[in-house]
Amino acid sequence: MTDILQILLIGAVLGGVYALMASGLTLIFGVMKIINLAHPVFIIIGAYISYWLFTLVGLDPILSMPIAMIALFCLGIVVYKLIFEREASSAKYSEMTVLLTFAVALSFDGLLGVLFGNIQRITSPSYAVEAVMLGDLFLPKGQFYAGLISIALIGALVAFLKFTRFGYAIRATTQNREAAQLLGVNVGLVSTITFGIGIGLAGASGALISFIFSFFPARHWEWIALLMSLIVLGGMGRLMGAVVGAFLLAIVSAFVGSYFGSTWSMMTFYLALFLILLVRPQGLFGEKME
Amino acid sequence: MKHRLIPFLAAATLVVSAISGAAFAAEPIKVGASLPLTGGFSVTGDKHKVGYELCVGMINDNGGILGRKIDLIVSDNRSDTETAISQYERMINVDKVDVIFGTFSSKLTFPVSAITERYGMVNPIPSGGALRIYSIGHKNLFYFQQNAAEYIGKTVQRTLTDLVDTSKMPKTVAIVRADDFFANGIAAGLLGSEVKLPGSGKVVANLAPGNLANLGMKVVLNEKWPEEGFSDWVTLANSIKRSNAEFLVALTASAEEAVQLTRALQTLKYQPKAIYMSQGTQNEYLDSVGKASEGIMVHSSWHPAAGWKGVLSGKPFGNKDFIAAFKARYGAEPDEDGAIPFALCQGMEQAIRGAGSTDNKKIADWMHARTAADPVRTILGPFHWDDVGLPVDKSHLMTQWQGGELRFIYPTDEFEGTSPILYPKPQW
Repeated sequence: MTDILQILLIGAVLGGVYALMASGLTLIFGVMKIINLAHPVFIIIGAYISYWLFTLVGLDPILSMPIAMIALFCLGIVVYKLIFEREASSAKYSEMTVLLTFAVALSFDGLLGVLFGNIQRITSPSYAVEAVMLGDLFLPKGQFYAGLISIALIGALVAFLKFTRFGYAIRATTQNREAAQLLGVNVGLVSTITFGIGIGLAGASGALISFIFSFFPARHWEWIALLMSLIVLGGMGRLMGAVVGAFLLAIVSAFVGSYFGSTWSMMTFYLALFLILLVRPQGLFGEKME
Repeated sequence: MKHRLIPFLAAATLVVSAISGAAFAAEPIKVGASLPLTGGFSVTGDKHKVGYELCVGMINDNGGILGRKIDLIVSDNRSDTETAISQYERMINVDKVDVIFGTFSSKLTFPVSAITERYGMVNPIPSGGALRIYSIGHKNLFYFQQNAAEYIGKTVQRTLTDLVDTSKMPKTVAIVRADDFFANGIAAGLLGSEVKLPGSGKVVANLAPGNLANLGMKVVLNEKWPEEGFSDWVTLANSIKRSNAEFLVALTASAEEAVQLTRALQTLKYQPKAIYMSQGTQNEYLDSVGKASEGIMVHSSWHPAAGWKGVLSGKPFGNKDFIAAFKARYGAEPDEDGAIPFALCQGMEQAIRGAGSTDNKKIADWMHARTAADPVRTILGPFHWDDVGLPVDKSHLMTQWQGGELRFIYPTDEFEGTSPILYPKPQW
């Protein structure tokens, strides 16, 4: 029983972190139908910001998270204005953005390599290698803190979407872009700000993962499939879907890793992706596709 | 007298300038290397590029080889097998390189070695230790590390039997590894498995009973993680802790994996008698794990304190010279991943000089003719090879992190400065 609880705990705290990593991705898809393959590279940029602030001035990555978030929010807006806004009305926008975001990912990957070199980095606050003991159970502090903060941030995002005027506008645009525009929503501005928020969330999760996973510029390629599997499982564009998908898959993967071996733990994500596309392509929380 | 000397000196200067001018007017020797500068192997691939460039730069500063400068062409294969193959084919057929330098990793070297064999090119391999590469029957492979991955377990076995009291020897072992060519190769030697060729399934070596069995240890956990994208290190560390193994063999394929696993083990306070890893000698490993490195053993092909005496441009150029040159050019301490490609380039320079030509047949013949008494001399020590291209009479070093420094603990009689083993591993 202790073993089962232990595995559940490990999976759950990691699930919180995955949820934040995926939330920006699903938000951007929901509003703009952009399949942002560059999302993980923005996570890496956030991780670098926290890493350097920790290394150079000793700023704890949890405290530097807002800085990473704001910096990436601004970067997101610049990238959107420069690259994605122009073609927003194109009928093939979604397909085009796959290529565009791929190019963005490649460009930032190269730029990061030039700026910081191909050296693996990880932030090392003391709690990153400590654990809270709960009787026979342990809770890795780093994952635990990161998971908690992730959930708090997602909670704040949900509140923002639900209780603010701009949040209404985002939700309206997600549900029906044309109808929202007819009703006077400035969908251009909504798209720009939402892209900024999505990338800002990537920055925040970058700060948090900087002390959990080691990273280097090319690391983002390994994360895109994992993140896609989370948001496809939950339903593309569904924020709560991404959260549930993240927890579900992180916990299942922890059990698979413990009982069937680590080789299979990562397979959980890809298997889930295949299965959900075969059985329920709209995901757990998505509406049935026409 | 003075006046008579002036025309003589002027003439001599003209002759010397003409000769050196002619030397550098000659066609440069084109050397091609396809390296993983982006993608999963980018961290190590980049260091290989640095090692090659440092060596080529120094040879050019010394006047080149056979009066010709070296033109090093490096392409990024994005850690991708198909790209590595096509880049070497392009280098050989389109760029018309005279010589190639090998790529990084067994995964990329295995298919590339078929291409170099087809075109009769010498393939000097910096990092491609899987025994299967050398079991196909290729004639032009020359490995520039101590031995095939499958035989690294011998160093682990000897380290423990020679340095640890029998009564204190671990009785159980957990062996965890990256599911890649290199780590699986080391595991095969440790576990005593058969080594088979991919595709045909032909058994090329039976390594039974294996080094862990020779040590009398019982394997209580044997697990792999996928070579790319694995992130569940705490779950893996939890499985290791649950196994209660007294000795952990962690066959990490990169410094990054070594960092992740060490930190997860530290978080869980897993306390075995000893931990051996296959990667983790790099400077960034220490930077990332700090004091948690204490007592962790890692095999290595190179160590800054090893007093190997090499040759470069016909002059003595040993390990200490390499470290000084590396620091002067890059302002950083070198590690194994920069030293290995440097040694390879050093060896190839001697081979081209020795063969008196860039004809790959002559280079291969010259390299095959090396012996213990007349080897290639590099900063990784002397090299001569058997028929399949594996070095003869060389074994890896066993190093251990002690007080924030990577000390070598085995063999004990090859160099001065061997440190005693730290055993059992201290508390985290």
